[in-house]
Amino acid sequence: MSEVLVVFDDVVKRFGEFAAVKRMSLEIRRGEFLALMGPSGCGKTTTLRMLAGLELPSEGDITLEGQSLLSVRPHERDTPMVWQSLALFPFLDVRENVEFGLKMRGVAADERRRRAEDWLDRLGIAEFARRNVEQLSGGQRQRVALARALVTEPQILLLDEPLSALDAHLVIRMQGVLTRLQRELGITFVYVTHSQSEAFAMADRVVIMSDGEISQIGAPRDIYRTPANRFVAEFVGRNNILSGKVKRLEQNDAVVATPAGALKVSVGEDNSISEGDEISFVIAADLVRLSQEPPAEGNAVPVSLISEEFIGSVVTLFLESDDGTEFRAQLQERELADIDLKAAKELYLSWPPASGHILVDRI
Amino acid sequence: MTSDRAVRWFLRCYLALLFLFVFAPILASVVFSFNSQRFPTIPLGSFSLQWYEAILEDPDVWDAVRTSIIVSISTACLATFIGFCTAYTDYRYGFRFKGAYLALALLPPTIPLIILALAMLAWFSRIGASGQVWSIIIAHTVLCSPFAMAIIRLRLQQMDRNLEPAAWNLGASEWRGMGQVVLPFARPAIISALCLTAAVSFDEFAVAWFVSGLNKTVPVIILEIVTGNIDPQVNAIGTFVFITSITLVVIAQILIMARESKGGTAP
Amino acid sequence: MADAPQGPVRGKPAVRRLDGYALFFRLPIIFWQLLFFVGPLIFMIAMSFFLVKNYRMVEAFEFDNWAKMLARGYFWDSYLLTFGLAALSTLVVTTLAFPASYALAFKVSPGVRRWAIFFLIVPFFTSYLVRTFSWYVILAESGPINAVLSYIGLGPYIMLNTKFGTIVGYMTLTLPLVVILQTLSLSHVDRSLIEAAHNLGCGRMRTVFTVIVPLAKVGLIIGAVFCFILSFGDFVSPYYLGGSKPPTLPILIIDTTKSGQQWPRAAVVAIMMMATLLTVAFAAIALAYRRRVR
Repeated sequence: MSEVLVVFDDVVKRFGEFAAVKRMSLEIRRGEFLALMGPSGCGKTTTLRMLAGLELPSEGDITLEGQSLLSVRPHERDTPMVWQSLALFPFLDVRENVEFGLKMRGVAADERRRRAEDWLDRLGIAEFARRNVEQLSGGQRQRVALARALVTEPQILLLDEPLSALDAHLVIRMQGVLTRLQRELGITFVYVTHSQSEAFAMADRVVIMSDGEISQIGAPRDIYRTPANRFVAEFVGRNNILSGKVKRLEQNDAVVATPAGALKVSVGEDNSISEGDEISFVIAADLVRLSQEPPAEGNAVPVSLISEEFIGSVVTLFLESDDGTEFRAQLQERELADIDLKAAKELYLSWPPASGHILVDRI
Repeated sequence: MTSDRAVRWFLRCYLALLFLFVFAPILASVVFSFNSQRFPTIPLGSFSLQWYEAILEDPDVWDAVRTSIIVSISTACLATFIGFCTAYTDYRYGFRFKGAYLALALLPPTIPLIILALAMLAWFSRIGASGQVWSIIIAHTVLCSPFAMAIIRLRLQQMDRNLEPAAWNLGASEWRGMGQVVLPFARPAIISALCLTAAVSFDEFAVAWFVSGLNKTVPVIILEIVTGNIDPQVNAIGTFVFITSITLVVIAQILIMARESKGGTAP
Repeated sequence: MADAPQGPVRGKPAVRRLDGYALFFRLPIIFWQLLFFVGPLIFMIAMSFFLVKNYRMVEAFEFDNWAKMLARGYFWDSYLLTFGLAALSTLVVTTLAFPASYALAFKVSPGVRRWAIFFLIVPFFTSYLVRTFSWYVILAESGPINAVLSYIGLGPYIMLNTKFGTIVGYMTLTLPLVVILQTLSLSHVDRSLIEAAHNLGCGRMRTVFTVIVPLAKVGLIIGAVFCFILSFGDFVSPYYLGGSKPPTLPILIIDTTKSGQQWPRAAVVAIMMMATLLTVAFAAIALAYRRRVR
């Protein structure tokens, strides 16, 4: 049994003139929690629907365990979906909703009932079995939708922004439920969302999409630390992005003339950067230091404070350098204990060249 | 402000008068059906069941009732079936000339009945179907299917767009999805459509009169009686027709509400 | 990322085709309407060019019927009478319905409004014929109304076999529908616009005509059009309450068909009626959706 379960091979999807998905290739691994993430209109939902068979690719192929899915109708596939609107059947009670998939597969009534009740119990909603779905709360209905999709023990579960209609505290709880379930069952989850925090909290790998194409694929941490391009960097974090021309190269560093001053960023083994190139680089907000004196070495930019955002132990500071460039710093509250931000006459933002990560902008 | 209250009072009286006008002939008909006088006037005559006795003993009336029942039940089934197909097509599919398609489906109510009656009489004679019961059924179906379509379409509008795909996604083929999801969801509207089209057909006289020949429906009998002379039997018949129609509507409403309060549990 | 796998043959992306499922639902209405709605109407148009020889209809393409019918004085008298009565009916019903619709849309609670509309639907389930017959009895010279009036020393008034009777009949036919349509369109008028008008000093009555009516224009016009179409095409009221002489166009159709067996001539009348109604409907819709250009 290979590690790869689903392959998208050069898939294109057009609606009339408009290309929702442009030449996308992707591998989905067995047993992973994969998130498809991006802004509205990036093609993530279209991709999910193609996997479910609700849309057919205009070009390219989608294979499951090596077999092409193109001629497989939606009801012949084993790709149950948890819908954004939940799509629970209002004329059936909770248990009948959950049994639906089993009924379609011809499972006998007693067996269906047992398995449905088993799942309802597992998700903590057994007491609602005979109730009408309309009588349940948002979170409870969410669980019904989950049970309905999982009761047939599929290989893949598709989820289309399932948490978008829930209250904030329920979202956190459901994230825990989903992650736990996925680990226990070991099945592949393909999860579509526009929320970075959801994707990063739950997924093993995240696929960031923009304008019908994949911008980056990787583990959440890797994407955060080393965003592939400007779009990802901006989409994914509260980061500082600076651009400028390379003035010169010093050993492993490039000195870049940015509006905020001449700053060093390490290029490492990369030989493609030369003097005169225009480059952008990103410094994660949590990698900068704030002090009242310029540091001994590394980059330093004089800044003044614009505002603070205080969320418990982490403080986000919004700062501005003399030339007007905005910076963000994310610091632990105790690190600021020594600095009186309001009274300080001089503030310096500093970071070592290695903390900067060069971005490759897609043409 | 007193002028505001005066206006409100005036409008309420106006409403009452209007309803009086609308219901006067109906109430009068019911009252006269129990009135002994042949030419009702004030003061009324004595209470009498003679008109009811007359119609219950008239074999023509019973024939007409039988014909009307056959016609209205058949019309209801056919018109609701066609209306459902059209409503579902409108809901689910987009295609070229869809505007023309819908116009074709919804045009009949805009054509005066008398013209439709003439056209159908001529057409059915041409194809040798005049005077048959099923020619009335066909004509009534043309008239009623737009209403069935509208009622069902309104209900389908309320259906979550993902409900059918959810069924397919869980293993139901399109046909099974139709039976397991769309039909159960639309059931209240289907029942309403059946009752409404039955009622409309039961009461339709112009087309039936032209097209029916010797197979008369109840309204045609009424028409013939009324054409002849003043005959209070008509009131008795009218009251029966009214009670039948209202009963159908009430049954439909009860069925729909019972389903909703039970939480829509499938049998 | 690994290279694309070489193994199994690539599937061909399927083209979306009209399958049996879609056709099953799409076709019934097409067949039915073409065969039993469009067919009859087209045949009727063709029939207007047929001839009647020895009481039998013969297929032909002659303008005989058209010439004869349109040259007759009694046809145009009937035409003008029908049009005039329908127009009068539309005017009367639309005006009389308005205060009631206004009251239902703005002056009663939503619950009362729902019940009112429900009760206005009830007449649709009674026989229009029987209701007309009731009016025949009520309006008779020796009927209840004249009896009551005679107690106060008025009358007796002749109300049957007059245009008054016909109009009363038309009102019975169309009033409930017009009230329902007007109420629905008035109740969808944005309340905040009305309040804004009052706030700016516009009096109640003036607001009604300068703000509410224009906003509900489309619905009001649709109601009027339905009223016209129904009145124009009705034969029951002019026949039983109006005396049927002079005849209106629908009565002309009935006479020509039932007693004269002159179906082609009846077809001519029917086509003239259709043409008139189409023109009126289009004109009304154009009026309804006309944008005022300053």
